[in-house]
Amino acid sequence: MRRIFAVALGILTAIGGFVDIGDLVTNAIVGSRFGLGLAWVVLVGVVGICVYAQMSGRVAAVSGRATFEIIRERLGPRAGLANLGASFLINLLTVTAEIGGVALSLQLATSVDPLLWVPVAAFGVWIVIWRARFKLLENVTGLLGLTLIVFAVALFMLSPDWGSLAGQALQPGPPADEQMSTYWFYAIALFGAAMTPYEVFFFSSGAIEEKWTEKDLATSRANVLVGFPLGGVLSIAIAGCAAVVLLPASIDVTSLSQVVLPVAEAGGKLALSFAIVGILAATFGAALETTLSSGYTLAQYFGWSWGKFRRPAKAARFHLAMIICIFVAMAILATGVDPILVTEYSVVFSAVALPLTYLPILIIANDREYMGDKVNGRAMNLIGSVYLVVILVAAIAAIPLLIVTGAGS
Amino acid sequence: MNDPHRPAGRVLDAHLHILDRQVLDRDGVPVTTVDDLELDGIEPGAPIEPDAPPPTVAAILTGPDLATRIFGGRPPESRHIRIPWKLVSEVGTTIRLGITGYILDATWTERWVSEHIIARIPGGRHDPE
Repeated sequence: MRRIFAVALGILTAIGGFVDIGDLVTNAIVGSRFGLGLAWVVLVGVVGICVYAQMSGRVAAVSGRATFEIIRERLGPRAGLANLGASFLINLLTVTAEIGGVALSLQLATSVDPLLWVPVAAFGVWIVIWRARFKLLENVTGLLGLTLIVFAVALFMLSPDWGSLAGQALQPGPPADEQMSTYWFYAIALFGAAMTPYEVFFFSSGAIEEKWTEKDLATSRANVLVGFPLGGVLSIAIAGCAAVVLLPASIDVTSLSQVVLPVAEAGGKLALSFAIVGILAATFGAALETTLSSGYTLAQYFGWSWGKFRRPAKAARFHLAMIICIFVAMAILATGVDPILVTEYSVVFSAVALPLTYLPILIIANDREYMGDKVNGRAMNLIGSVYLVVILVAAIAAIPLLIVTGAGS
Repeated sequence: MNDPHRPAGRVLDAHLHILDRQVLDRDGVPVTTVDDLELDGIEPGAPIEPDAPPPTVAAILTGPDLATRIFGGRPPESRHIRIPWKLVSEVGTTIRLGITGYILDATWTERWVSEHIIARIPGGRHDPE
């Protein structure tokens, strides 16, 4: 019974935890411009994150080593530092986007300027990281994030023309008024949003925080294989809502109020309040995960003591690094930069950084010194390699497409 | 396998099995990463006599040695932070020490940050709730 409960809880938190500000904004933008024409990207991204999150969790549980320790050990100090620099900066951009997202969702609830909410959001993120147990922070934000299901409910309440939605999804390609390059630019952005590298840092370090052993692998596999696809369904529902309401009215998504507009139209104030709670929980949860990830990557590269299972004084540099990251994110937001814009860039650069994280994991998952007889099977290596090619192509194409399309405008 | 010079026991490749691995102390607390190794018994640049005894690993180096391994050069002798190899109790996917890491020179930045910053913030000395 307790085991069933643990699996159910894990799945629910994985659903709520899958969606972050990147998924929210990118799916709404894509829905408002291409309908469901890019829904296939979410599917591709979800399968990819399932494969690699599961693999990194297995590596962490079997070998007891988290992702960035392995990256340092395999790549050596130089290439490891280059990798750390890129991964860390992109993750910092994501921290900024998530804290900005928390501020924007508080603005949605209160109409108070988001700039005033930024310090509150940043302090909230810090105090939870400082004081709350790992399991608690993961479960609370994950479960509250489940209220995002209101997007799926709203889609049904809007009673759309299901035939035309299915038509958009099954015949991928840009609509007549959009260019092919813009279509592919958003395909990569959506891919980066679904596969964000911080998920892997967080997942493997979380496995060590929770002291997983090989026995926990079945539970974790269930969480990932059921939770993430359902999270992907939520993502598609967000795009679907935008496709039904925003696309015909040619409304551009420039803030969170457009993201939730279809929900408000379908379900009024009650549905809107669910959506706001969901967005707040999702962005807050992701802000915690990304901030922790910045501490994890630094500490693991340099070999510092880290982890939320230790009291802060026993992982001092880890906590100091996270405090500095939160301050930097606050400083970036204090310049008045639009958090939505930060989000759009963060998902594209995430796509660029994907191979840096995913290649070392694939290599180590085949290393018998670390994995014993728990190395990847043939099928896992095949799908892992196929995804590595997809990830490489996306990473190489991302920056040129960003320049050619003027960031999708 | 028939190599007469092959020593008995497990063979470790310093580059492959020791460098850049995590160092844990007696209680499993991370101390540092192996940034470099100090070898005794050879002089850099000097020719090695054919009948010279094999060099031995004297210490794990950390601190400034990470920067010099990345950017080149050598830190001055006084700036090395050493963990004597005799403290190592086990070499596996991590390097285990037989003592607590908290007293080592290698953890002075951790101690400094802990004592001067983190422990002074309310809640810093308490377990998470």
